Amino acid sequence: MRHSGELISAYLDGELGGEELRDLFQHLGECGRCTDELMQIQEVRGAIRSLPVMEVPPGLVPVADVVPLHRNRGFWASAAAAVVIVVIAIAALVTPPATTISADDLNSRFAARVSLDPAFGPAKVILPDLIEVPE
Amino acid sequence: MKRVVALLVAVLLLLPASAALAVDLDELLEESREAAYSAEQLITCTTPDGIRDALIELEQQGGEVRYGGKSETGPQVWSGFGGWVVQSDGSVVESATVTADQPDDVDEPTYVVEEREETSYLGRDSTRYALLDGDLSRAELVVDNETGVLMSVTTFDSDGNPYCERRFVSYDPQAPDWKTIESETSEELAVTTTSHLPSELSGFTLLDSYVDDAGLTFGYYSDGFFSFAVFESTVDIVLDRGVEYVLDGHAYQREFTPGQVTYTWPVQGGGMALIGDLPPDMHDTALSGLPTPYDAGFFRRLWRSLFG
Repeated sequence: MRHSGELISAYLDGELGGEELRDLFQHLGECGRCTDELMQIQEVRGAIRSLPVMEVPPGLVPVADVVPLHRNRGFWASAAAAVVIVVIAIAALVTPPATTISADDLNSRFAARVSLDPAFGPAKVILPDLIEVPE
Repeated sequence: MKRVVALLVAVLLLLPASAALAVDLDELLEESREAAYSAEQLITCTTPDGIRDALIELEQQGGEVRYGGKSETGPQVWSGFGGWVVQSDGSVVESATVTADQPDDVDEPTYVVEEREETSYLGRDSTRYALLDGDLSRAELVVDNETGVLMSVTTFDSDGNPYCERRFVSYDPQAPDWKTIESETSEELAVTTTSHLPSELSGFTLLDSYVDDAGLTFGYYSDGFFSFAVFESTVDIVLDRGVEYVLDGHAYQREFTPGQVTYTWPVQGGGMALIGDLPPDMHDTALSGLPTPYDAGFFRRLWRSLFG
């Protein structure tokens, strides 16, 4: 295997796997130069990570430039939609069926009371919805 | 002296005929109620939502009425003395009973009954009467002279246009041969004194009110001829065939059937309904005296539409 700084960088980025990873480890065991290079790169990266994080002074860069890019917008949108669907499904399952009364049921009570009316008779008969009305 | 006589004659001539020919409405209707007969009745109503009509066979005896459609196998209705039973195929499919020792009547009837003319109806000697509210004729009755039966009743709206006409198209003054119906006992609704419904509503008087075991309240209103019931429920009241009617920005559901109108609307904590036979021009004022529809809000309506 040839010396390869690119493979070492890829390894440190966690991008190697399988056969490439085994080949690299075998090469590092045989090649002191590459081992030294790997250690140097790890030291530099560790030093960079240890630096304190500093706030960008306001006004140094335009506001639009510091707005983070929504690279994962699709993922979050899908996740939110999934959560909403799950919540609605659960709520639908636990919501008891609505209790209602039909106006037809009330009609019978009105009709019963009408029969006590002094005007009850042919001028006051109440039709149930069961009676078919001719066209 | 001649001037005094002339003035007296003029006054007599100007007196309305109704003053001399007025008839007591209660007596007229009571007489109709006692008659026994078989008839076919055609009901035709011209409503804001279209024509509503029906042809029924009707029999009356001893204050009870039995009626149904033309179909021999269709449902039959028995009604009288606070009971209403619908029977189909030998079984009771709907029934209701209300009890009131002596239901109140309207203290001051809205209408004056004026005798208009002698006439002939279905070949029988009859008399035509008008129910007057001031100068406005609200109903015209044709009464059979021999039996007192209401052969024809036409109601009018405030513009004088016919609203509903119920008229016999055949008439047999023989007592019907019927057997007493065997019905299951329905829940009897007894008069209550705890109703909070308004005692007066658009010229109609609350005669009595009822509460059932489920907490449903209903009150019965009358002006002496037209009547309606107001229902107040702790649950929604559904009107399956209703169409939307908007009054003062509030949405109601409304359905006209032959001789009758039904309104339903949601209120906070339940629903309300109005069922009656009053002409359309009386609807708005009656509804305006009751709680207005409750707007549940977009999300609640959406939820109800999705999950009931």
